Amino acid sequence: MKAGFLATFSTLLITPLAASEPVMFCERPLTAQPIAENTWMVEGVKEELSTSNCGHIGNQAFIATPSGVILIDSGSSPHFGEALKTLIAQHTAQPVRWVLNTHHHPDHFFGNAAFDEAQHLTLASTRALMARDRDALIDNVARLTGHSLEHSSIALPKVIEAGEITLGNYPLTLFAMSGHSGGDLVIMDHATDVLFLGDIGFYQRAAATAHSPSLQQWLEELNDLRALNASIAVPGHGPSAPPETIIGQTTHYLEWLDQRLSDVASEGLGANHALAVEIPSMFSTMALSEYEFTRSVMQLYPHYEARLLWGAPH
Amino acid sequence: MATLNPIITLQRIAAAFAAPLTPALAVLFWLLLALPTTALATASTAEQDPLNSFMWPVYRERFLGDAPVVFDERVTVSAPGFAEDSGQVPISLDASALEASGEPITDIIAWVDLNPIPRLFHYSPMSHGIAKLSLNIRLEQASAVRVAVKQGDTWHVGGTYIEAEGGGCTTPGIASADTDWETTFGELQGRLFANEDEQRLRVRLSHPMDSGLIPSQPAFYVQSFELLDQQGQQVAALDIDASVSANPTLGLHMRPSPGGYVIGARDNNGNRFSIGLQP
Repeated sequence: MKAGFLATFSTLLITPLAASEPVMFCERPLTAQPIAENTWMVEGVKEELSTSNCGHIGNQAFIATPSGVILIDSGSSPHFGEALKTLIAQHTAQPVRWVLNTHHHPDHFFGNAAFDEAQHLTLASTRALMARDRDALIDNVARLTGHSLEHSSIALPKVIEAGEITLGNYPLTLFAMSGHSGGDLVIMDHATDVLFLGDIGFYQRAAATAHSPSLQQWLEELNDLRALNASIAVPGHGPSAPPETIIGQTTHYLEWLDQRLSDVASEGLGANHALAVEIPSMFSTMALSEYEFTRSVMQLYPHYEARLLWGAPH
Repeated sequence: MATLNPIITLQRIAAAFAAPLTPALAVLFWLLLALPTTALATASTAEQDPLNSFMWPVYRERFLGDAPVVFDERVTVSAPGFAEDSGQVPISLDASALEASGEPITDIIAWVDLNPIPRLFHYSPMSHGIAKLSLNIRLEQASAVRVAVKQGDTWHVGGTYIEAEGGGCTTPGIASADTDWETTFGELQGRLFANEDEQRLRVRLSHPMDSGLIPSQPAFYVQSFELLDQQGQQVAALDIDASVSANPTLGLHMRPSPGGYVIGARDNNGNRFSIGLQP
């Protein structure tokens, strides 16, 4: 499997791609990096949604199968989705037939409308969160990127069960997790040994925790994923890398965050005290570490206090 | 005292100069200076506000009146630079360095320049309170947050600026919506953490803190907290307004009391709540 993967990988590198115009999005060329056989990722910039990145902050990936393309996440607007569609067409003649959305955050499913001929699929938990938060998230994207979105263009995907599935004739293994957002789809492709982590994995970009049910839950799930024998992993944000590298960095950061919040909350010292700490240098390579740490403290401190001081259940 | 940033410079000069003079001369001095001083003070306050907020002169007059005012770095206000959830923004104030350097502190007033209900609280540390406090506030929009600490006749003012927007996947309305508050309403919880210098109290009251600004939702909020010693004597008092977040959570710093403290609270409907905390 590995030798085959490497052989194909080198073929991809030496075979000139179709001599087409580079696809531009937000005045930058949009590129698809080969990850494995018939598998590419499109890496977002390691930033928060803004006018200067037009919302392309999350990663997408696509697998070209004999019966059509499987797209994993679609970006933060229908406009971006159109650019992504053009980019995919430069790498395969197959149309996108399936879009899998890893979770309900806007940078992962707001581009679905560009693929209206495809089936849009997500976990039941994710779909429920999409229904709950869609309007607030549409407003956020409009506010932060300066581009308004048609509410009607942000439709909800159909539900798919976790487990072994087949799209066309292509098998994938789906895992239902919840640590990052309350409904997180992780996808394992055993044919190529690629693990698509969604936002369960962040790499070189600090983890966002806005809808995490608990950091403990997230850490347990990361630990479970170590058992999978993947050769490369695609995180929701940041570059691809061996799974243990990405899982390791996300795990270390979340463990540190959990410890900091526990220490301060159990002493009744308050959220601003939790913020008054230097972020360890081992996390200094991660983009947005100060920003996400500040957000996480504001989001999570009341929950730590409830559990550690007021005896609320976990 | 390099940290002092005097506003009413001429009055201070006048006071310094007047001290060695005879009372008659001092009065004359004041008469000469009175008019230009007032005019200059008004002009310089707007210029010298370190947060450069146009509301400063308005609220300075409303909350602090005619008393002398200085911007003082010994009044620190800590807050995140932006609000992730504008309904729950943690702020903490610490004027213990100012307190350590002089007379007791009698009053602490805090406000948000651009909130529809600007005042946050009026804290009277009285006999047992230390000039430190933390709580969560509501922020209508990006704004300066002020804390004025009265020592002697002078208000010492500190502040910070908070941006009011969360990130792309933030959903504050949903995150903060507490639909089942009726089941926990009035629950007052607290913990006391003692060390040699102080007893730190962390208190949470389950209360919606409805401001009355939302149509068909009448004002229903906690107006006051008080701290009593074991003899039932009031030793510190805190009045709050509806710009304090739902489920007010206070961090109070008290001088050590062997028997601990009783904390009482009252809302605008006359509901009373109390809890005793022992070391």
